[in-house]
Amino acid sequence: MSFPILSLLILTPIIGALTLSLSSSTQLKNKTIFLSGLWITTGEFLLSLLLPIFYDKSKNGYQFIEFHTWFDKFDINYYVGVDGVSIPLILLTTFLVPICLLCSINSIQNRAKEFVIYFLLLESFIIGVFVSIDLVIFYVFFEAVLIPMFLIIGIWGGENRLYATFKFFLYTLAGSVLMLLAIIYIISKVKSGNIELISDFTFDQQIELVLFLCFFASFAVKVPMFPFHTWLPDAHVQAPTSGSVILAGVLLKLGAYGFIRLSLPFFEYASIYFQPIIFALSCVAIVYTSIVALRQLDMKKMIAYSSVAHMGFVTIGIFTLTQDGINGAYFQMISHGIVSAALFLIVGVVYERHHTRMISDYSGVTNVMPKYSFFFMVFMLSSVGLPGTSGFVGEFLVIMSTISVSVYLTFFTAIGVILGASYMLLLYKNINFGDLKSDIKQLADLTNIEIFYFSCLAFLTILLGIYPKLLFEMINKSISLSII
Amino acid sequence: MINLFQFIPEIFILSLILITLCFGLFNKDRAISLNTSGFILLSILLLNYGKDFYSSTQMSLNTINLFVLSKIILSIGSIVFILLLKRPLKNENLYRYEYVLFLLFAILGSFVLISSNNFLTAFIGLELQSLSLYLMAAFNTKNLSSNEAGIKYFSLGALSSGFLLFGISMIYYDTGSFNIQNLDNFTAISEIGLSLVLISLFFKVSAAPFHIWTPDVYEGSPTISTLFFATLPKFASLIFLFRVYQELNISDIKSLNYIFQMVCAISLLVGVYGAITQKVIKRLLAFSSINHIGFMLLGIMSYQFMSEGTLFFYLIIYLVTTFGIFAILLNLRTVDGEFTKISQLNGLRFTSNSKSISMLVFFFSLAGIPPFAGFFAKFFILSASINDGFILLSIIAVLSSVIAAFYYLTIIKNMFFNKSEIELLDDNNKTGKVIFISSGLIITLFFIYPDPLINLVDNLFK
Repeated sequence: MSFPILSLLILTPIIGALTLSLSSSTQLKNKTIFLSGLWITTGEFLLSLLLPIFYDKSKNGYQFIEFHTWFDKFDINYYVGVDGVSIPLILLTTFLVPICLLCSINSIQNRAKEFVIYFLLLESFIIGVFVSIDLVIFYVFFEAVLIPMFLIIGIWGGENRLYATFKFFLYTLAGSVLMLLAIIYIISKVKSGNIELISDFTFDQQIELVLFLCFFASFAVKVPMFPFHTWLPDAHVQAPTSGSVILAGVLLKLGAYGFIRLSLPFFEYASIYFQPIIFALSCVAIVYTSIVALRQLDMKKMIAYSSVAHMGFVTIGIFTLTQDGINGAYFQMISHGIVSAALFLIVGVVYERHHTRMISDYSGVTNVMPKYSFFFMVFMLSSVGLPGTSGFVGEFLVIMSTISVSVYLTFFTAIGVILGASYMLLLYKNINFGDLKSDIKQLADLTNIEIFYFSCLAFLTILLGIYPKLLFEMINKSISLSII
Repeated sequence: MINLFQFIPEIFILSLILITLCFGLFNKDRAISLNTSGFILLSILLLNYGKDFYSSTQMSLNTINLFVLSKIILSIGSIVFILLLKRPLKNENLYRYEYVLFLLFAILGSFVLISSNNFLTAFIGLELQSLSLYLMAAFNTKNLSSNEAGIKYFSLGALSSGFLLFGISMIYYDTGSFNIQNLDNFTAISEIGLSLVLISLFFKVSAAPFHIWTPDVYEGSPTISTLFFATLPKFASLIFLFRVYQELNISDIKSLNYIFQMVCAISLLVGVYGAITQKVIKRLLAFSSINHIGFMLLGIMSYQFMSEGTLFFYLIIYLVTTFGIFAILLNLRTVDGEFTKISQLNGLRFTSNSKSISMLVFFFSLAGIPPFAGFFAKFFILSASINDGFILLSIIAVLSSVIAAFYYLTIIKNMFFNKSEIELLDDNNKTGKVIFISSGLIITLFFIYPDPLINLVDNLFK
């Protein structure tokens, strides 16, 4: 491999952040800073578009591989490469980060330079997670993501931001240190951190169960699965809009990605052994959090709970351990990444104008903001899973694959779809229809920038809904390899 | 005939002491430049000829390397410390050249301690070191808490020296020898004696439950002395503890091994639980250092797996981080005097870029979060301990570091999220600034490109 495109992807934002941090802050206006951040991230997005273009779908295994020895003595290597599972997520990341910057140009007034720097660092760490095929650097990037996110929520968050950001950081850290121990144990057994080598290694069954649980602790917090989800509503509600977007859009996918990339191929026995428990937890997540979402008064909290429910579909799909199930789960991941990001942006738009997120404060918005209502409808329907939007394909495949496992599972999953439709429609109705409240009359409709990024997101949603093959072509082969 | 050649580093420091003493009669201001150049010379000597000093002795190559490496670290640490000490002492109207002398005596004691193969020599080294430390604790004679710190340190330290002597005499009674290598057949008496020796050493490195003095002494002493307690003497005592563990094969003695594991677990937990509620930053750092001692003990216990490399990596990163943190603390002052409370750090982000970002790096590194070198320091210790079968201790260690992350985050929260309440004066100390910025860079660079450090440790232990 001649051209180090993956390292370039990781390094570009870091270098951009360094350059920004060295420039003197007093001379630069906020707008210039955001513009330079936008240039860097857009460049990054264009760079990442090279990946699907040059990726050879007919080959097995990782491509664009780079290998450098890092710690000779301890067998830790900088070893990166991508396959079909990682490329769409990388694209999703590089696609969402410029949008995050775009949507914050007006809302982030103080300490704009820091904001852009943290976002750039966040981007490169997330990409690092998706490209690493050595356990140690996977863990390094997985953990490093916490630092910029901690600062973003803590500095620009709402009034209760300290509680939320500490909860977010400590919850995730507690999960991942257990994974660290498991990683160390695996490396000491296999004598290598290479993911492919570890997949071929068979552990003692009892030990495999323990190791699986250690990895599970980390990924279940990140996804988040049912009993470990309590940090998510707090973090979402307190985070600034851009923070919520990246959190729902990409960070939650790290956990699911970890399940597909590490847990399934490493622990085949344990994955089957724990299948019922994970199904049970996911069913609870889907039904329970959907009911909780029905009763929320805060828009952001409602969408946060809906995220938990949608990620429940993902975990169910992954642990059906069938090609269809994992394909569906993966599709749901990408679709949820786009749609929930868009929904948080939707909330952000009215919050920025009206400074409240309470559903009861809005009514009849469609009279003053018709364009807004239109985009809201597109994403709401996609979140509900209307055929023709991306939400449908993933949910459909997951539900279909559950039939082969258990009809009861299908039943609960399907109930989740109905509940999802009810709370999303309720939210849409309460905000957009009804009498026009007097204090809403002066709200301005979407600006051109907002229309621009909403149309990008809407275009992707509908494109994936109508032509899902685009994504399946990319992931089919890699996913079939990770199934037992 | 004693071969004086192996004592060159100690003789060098001794002559440095004598020169400083004589010089002090005429020109008190030259002590710092004189000693800085002296220690630079010593570091160069040790780097180039360190191994030759000991070539005539019968010690194994590994032990010689351990001596040389730890002495190099000590003398480089002394250079940094000497460069740092003038300004803070002058701020408190405390600057006398005797302070440098105490430092020299403590370093001399540490050198003797590290390379002693005999319990009595070790005792002399330890006492020489400790007595200077008591004086440094009580150096601010007009300040009540500084006096209190000195007396507390002295009385408890004297008690622990008593334990040490009693333990040594029991070992002597049993084996008829003071030699550290020479204890093959243990009886109950020398086991008890050895456990007393260990207790005294645990006291010196402030491992829990022998840590009670640490927070008080850290808080009461002048900050510059606190920096010294937290770094170099502790390092030397830890190296000696490591040697005792290794030479006497403590891992084979069940009872002592048990003590070691208990102390390690208790240190890990006491360190984090003690720190959570602290309001004074030096007390917090005291407890956090107890937690880190727990990690180092874990590293000592599992030295068989990856040899000394893991322990030294951890120690070096810890020393660099501590120097960096204290260099920042020494650089900050409130209007009323020394800055003490964590809440006084509020809003540092808005007043000083370099300080707040360096602090961020140091505390995330202490918490073991990548991408900083502290992560690999913990990673190596944990992989060594898991490979040696200390699974339970490793679990305690990682969970303790999650709790530790909480109070490190609190400090970062104060600096980055809160608005400042009182005005912090910037001391504008150029050397301090150079030191903390370079420490921050080292912490980050050793994460990305650790080869120099690994190679240094590696080459010495080949």
